[in-house]
Amino acid sequence: MIRIFPSLRLTSLLSAAKPLCSSSPAKKPPQYTSLTESKSSRPTKSLSITPKTPLYLRTPSHATSLSEVWKWHDWAKDLASSVEESSKNSEDTLDSVILHRELKWLIEDSIVDDPLVILHRSEIADNGEKNVKLRASLEELYDLWRQRIEKRRPFQYVVGCEHWRDLVLCVEEGVLIPRPETELIVDMVEELVTRDEWFKKDIWADLGTGSGAIAIGIAKVLGSRGRVIATDLSPVAIAVAGHNVQRYSLEGMIEVREGSWFEPLKDLEGKLVGLVSNPPYIPSDDIPGLQAEVGRHEPKLALDGGIDGTDSLFHLCHGASRMLQPGGFFVFETNGEKQSKMIVDYMMTSDLKDCFSDLKIVSDFAGINRFVTGFRL
Amino acid sequence: MLSLIIRRSRSRFIIHGIKISCNSLSAVDSSSSVLVSRRTFSSTPALSYFGFNYGKISNLNQRFGNYAYSGSSFASSTRSLSSEAVAVAATCDGLTVERIIANQWPILDENEGDWKSHAAAIAQSIQVIKRRLQWKKLLVRLKVLSAELNKSDLWDDPTHAGKISREHGSLTGKMKGVMTFERELLEHIDMLKLAKEENDSELESETLKALIDMRRVSKEKELEALLSADNDPCSCYIEVQAGAGGTESNDWAAMVMEMYKTWAQRRKFSVTVVDEAPGEIAGIKRATIKVNGEYAYGYAKAEVGVHRLVRISPFDSGKRRHTSFAAVAVIPILGDGSTRVEINDSDLRIERFRSGGAGGQHANTTDSAVRIVHIPTGITATCQNERSQHSNKASAMAVLQSRLDQLEMARQTAMNAQHTQSLTEISWGNQIRTYVLHPYRMVKDLRTNYEVSDPDSVLEGDLDGFILSFLSSSLDKDDPEH
Repeated sequence: MIRIFPSLRLTSLLSAAKPLCSSSPAKKPPQYTSLTESKSSRPTKSLSITPKTPLYLRTPSHATSLSEVWKWHDWAKDLASSVEESSKNSEDTLDSVILHRELKWLIEDSIVDDPLVILHRSEIADNGEKNVKLRASLEELYDLWRQRIEKRRPFQYVVGCEHWRDLVLCVEEGVLIPRPETELIVDMVEELVTRDEWFKKDIWADLGTGSGAIAIGIAKVLGSRGRVIATDLSPVAIAVAGHNVQRYSLEGMIEVREGSWFEPLKDLEGKLVGLVSNPPYIPSDDIPGLQAEVGRHEPKLALDGGIDGTDSLFHLCHGASRMLQPGGFFVFETNGEKQSKMIVDYMMTSDLKDCFSDLKIVSDFAGINRFVTGFRL
Repeated sequence: MLSLIIRRSRSRFIIHGIKISCNSLSAVDSSSSVLVSRRTFSSTPALSYFGFNYGKISNLNQRFGNYAYSGSSFASSTRSLSSEAVAVAATCDGLTVERIIANQWPILDENEGDWKSHAAAIAQSIQVIKRRLQWKKLLVRLKVLSAELNKSDLWDDPTHAGKISREHGSLTGKMKGVMTFERELLEHIDMLKLAKEENDSELESETLKALIDMRRVSKEKELEALLSADNDPCSCYIEVQAGAGGTESNDWAAMVMEMYKTWAQRRKFSVTVVDEAPGEIAGIKRATIKVNGEYAYGYAKAEVGVHRLVRISPFDSGKRRHTSFAAVAVIPILGDGSTRVEINDSDLRIERFRSGGAGGQHANTTDSAVRIVHIPTGITATCQNERSQHSNKASAMAVLQSRLDQLEMARQTAMNAQHTQSLTEISWGNQIRTYVLHPYRMVKDLRTNYEVSDPDSVLEGDLDGFILSFLSSSLDKDDPEH
């Protein structure tokens, strides 16, 4: 069972203290729609959270002269170039090549016109008098870029979204930013359901859904008949996931339920056809040494997996044996070599040893044994 | 033939009630009659007149042979009017494009020229177009294709049949375009002479205007004819690779890449960076851009080869002169209609481009570049500029697909090897252009001798002069009669 630190819960609730969305009913998170209409207990507190609008979707209400934007761009480029000299003695450094690319994306997200008016100013015979429309004020852009570099705020939180597979997902503090490796979970599911239509017929579950990334990815590969339930303990994650589901108009296919792991799924024991999860798997001792962007900004609830990092994974293994119907598929993301092997060993030796077949370890593109997959007997 | 004239002429023609008789004349094989002096490319960037200057007419004996293709004896028409105005036209043989050229009428400026000047200019264009289309080969090919199409078992192999009929359609279209243009010219001349005889000044000025319009259009058609190869209309990738020599040559590679980016933007092509490996201190080691737009490949293919820079290096504290090299490759992105190489998933190895570290939840990075290796050929592709790994992978796959397509094309058509080389195959000896910034300033193309004394404008993307001169000269070279 995952340990929940009361202090962390409090933090996420505090950061969630936003105006009630009852004032704008259109924006109400759609998480409690469709599927099995009523059954599970649905705490009402998360209704109070309104997800932030990512930069690229904001209204372009800030007319700014081009020359001022160029000035900001020069400043931001210089700041990005200077990071390496200033942090040479530390291992956890920013990479200016990547920062320059992020700066380009920040511009793409904040400007309505062609970003080239900023990036390729030398070819523009303009003296900079012209106004361009921005989605954030120039002051905010200065502030955002400073946060990125000085505070090491993850770029995805800075712009409020993460491009993941072919999706653009809203993310904000309190929700884990989906990782590129995790895209492969959806690839695996896609391959499976293409090979065997049976897996499209029943319900899938994504536990600890965070931004809703995996659930949305899977719903899209399942096609119109797909059903996915996404759960999370964090009210912020619930609100953000619900918002992302709504943005992709998948309310009819994905139901977001709040609660710890299998608790919100009591009505579905033995009924799931697929179970996926990217649970917290970092060993507690590694948490203090994490990369600044992760350690300082991302929710520990989504990262800390206990002493070995396997607390949640073991819990998921047991849940999988209970929740999956015979033939059902599961895939879990793990911390890599050691942990994936531990999980497979555990499933083959413990009281679960007669529950699964075809247990496999699948590596990510970096060659790390990242995933454990298998089928319920 | 009579009906042709009447149908195509204005009603005025008939009202005049002139008796018309026609002679069926063959169009003339024009590719043999003009020698192009290649050294005459002017260095002015004016695009529409990219420096063709027809000096000598080598073949004064016009050949009035029959056309190589069957059944469509093209007819020019003249009237058997007793006309003392123009001696050549007075005969029943009439005036042909070839004769117009043989007449060597001076070609004057558009504004001051008389009709002869216009006619001569248009006739010249027609010859240029025919040469660029490789007219003779085209007609022979058409004959072969027609024969093929008439075979009763053609559709037993639908893929092959489709290919044949597509090619036939495309070549017929090109052929008819030129023939129509040619006919129009001769009809306008007829009309003009008629107007003169009738003292119909209104008709005369109208026709003259039509000739001037044709003259303008003919320049565009010349250009179109330059880009008539199969894959010319495709979009493409442009790749630049720095030669040995560290920072100076990395900087040069970046300058070359910048040159193409601005060139493409000027041409209204859209440009996206697919892959970029920055140099340690400045510049790039290698980069790939995708250039999207009609005829991007047709133009860009002229840039394949090694580009050499001579300058005093800003990176050399001793202020010495350095020579550096950058290799350029251009890969067409084939359209849906073309046959593409099939790639087996099992032949691919996909790797995280910058791996290292624990990854997963430990790492937050926006860098999700992947490298795809096609194991049987060893060809790789990388993309790092997309915002998700999924998209990086898709872009890298597209590059890989195009590289494999190109490899296959190169295998199939070893003849056109100069256009289908991929970066790995470019020998560093294959120098195509030199850019000298010191001790004098000049850019010179070693293939065409086209040169420009203002390197800055070239490096800012003013490349069309080089590209068009190369394309036209390479088509001359391809033509066995030149």
